[in-house]
Amino acid sequence: MVAENSTPHLHSAVEPKQTFRRALDMAARAAMPSLFIVFSAILLSAPFGIPGQAQLQFGIAMCTVWFWAYSRPRSMPALAVFLCGLVVEIFSFGPPGTVLLSLLVIYGVAHHWRYGLSRLGFIAGWLIFSVFAALASFFQWALVCLHAVALLSPAPGLFQAALTIGIYPSLTALFVWGRRTFANPDQA
Amino acid sequence: MLSIHARQVLAKAVLPILILLAVGLVLLGLVRRPSVDGVRLMATDFMAPAYHGLVWPQERVKVWLTDLRGATDLAKENARLRDENRALRHWYDVAVALAAENGRLKKSLHWIPETVPQYVTGRVTRDDGGPYSRAVLLDVGSGHDVRIGDVALDAAGLLGRVTEVGPHTVRVLMINDDASRIPVTLGSSHGDAIMAGDDTASPRLIFYPQDHHPVEGERVETRGQSTMPAGLPVGTVHYSAPNRPVVVPDADLDRLDIVRVFDYGDDDSQAPDAPGRVRVKKLPQNPLTGPLPFSWLPNLPDMPGRGGQ
Repeated sequence: MVAENSTPHLHSAVEPKQTFRRALDMAARAAMPSLFIVFSAILLSAPFGIPGQAQLQFGIAMCTVWFWAYSRPRSMPALAVFLCGLVVEIFSFGPPGTVLLSLLVIYGVAHHWRYGLSRLGFIAGWLIFSVFAALASFFQWALVCLHAVALLSPAPGLFQAALTIGIYPSLTALFVWGRRTFANPDQA
Repeated sequence: MLSIHARQVLAKAVLPILILLAVGLVLLGLVRRPSVDGVRLMATDFMAPAYHGLVWPQERVKVWLTDLRGATDLAKENARLRDENRALRHWYDVAVALAAENGRLKKSLHWIPETVPQYVTGRVTRDDGGPYSRAVLLDVGSGHDVRIGDVALDAAGLLGRVTEVGPHTVRVLMINDDASRIPVTLGSSHGDAIMAGDDTASPRLIFYPQDHHPVEGERVETRGQSTMPAGLPVGTVHYSAPNRPVVVPDADLDRLDIVRVFDYGDDDSQAPDAPGRVRVKKLPQNPLTGPLPFSWLPNLPDMPGRGGQ
């Protein structure tokens, strides 16, 4: 069974009447993951002084795209990933394009393997995500080194990768709940 | 209306096209970084009021906590402040005496007074570092006259230099950023060095004279160069490891709030044209091949290095 049909009891022959309000509700629920990335990117660019704010921006975007790309691709189309990536790029000051490219690549991987990933357990999915999160951070580090024409310390990149991998379980718990409730277009 | 086949092809082509666009953005960032940063600065300009609204509750909570902490320890705090006030009064007297002496000495030396730099004060809108850089954005309001290269200071010392200027916001590259190189002078040894940021809290000292190593604890000040005036306090020297002197900055780089941006101008230190400089006449091709014109001189010994043997 594909994970996006997670509420089979609602796919009955008797569908609710399609009104404008319902269409709006469905669109809002489907856009919830993208809005989550956009709002967290803007919120985390404010000067709260929280350690690792910039890394958290990247981590939240990566986890969100990965989860929704394999579990409900209808809520996270490629164009939405691109637009979310652009917003994250605008509200961060890292090397331009790296977050966007990382998001698109991780989207491509998750979307391509979505059937396999849905069958895998949580730990296996987390491990695969960890590899790609580490690769994305390494790519970002390599580009910064290329831009600075110097070998910079990889510690910030490692911290970013560790933070991204570390927040994945808690975000997954939130998303699993959201997929059933507030981000489920079938419940509109 | 597109056919099903065409729609399938289009759906498969979307991701590669978007990835190509992202690669284009990466290349643009490598070639034309300022244009990308300009867009980011515009977005921050636009969001500046929202940022103030977002951090307002946090600031209020901080103020309440400070008040609460003060209220619980009033007697001890009073005693500490009284001691501090006594010490400050002593230093005030010393400073007034030194200022008067300085004024007298300058008068007797016919000292040309230095121009007072223009400055604007701004609040830090957001920490703009990211994992690999250390920078802050300042909200300096509209109608400012800040230029790229101006010097940013907090209450204690040097903070960095302005790298981008927007209509309301300016970006300050901090002294501990990896791209920052500031020429400095060491207080007691009077050696020159370069303070190079390395993304840690304490920038390194490099290119110092090998016969005058920086001394632990000595003051570090800026060395005058283009827009950077001499004598701005930077910090103190500390050896984090043998042969690895770093600067512990006076400025509190982690908790920035109010920052002043000074414009010291950049055309004051231009060297004047050297008057009376004359063009050197070209010597003849082989001036010493012929016999010397001074036949009345005695024979001179061969000069060393002339190959007389």
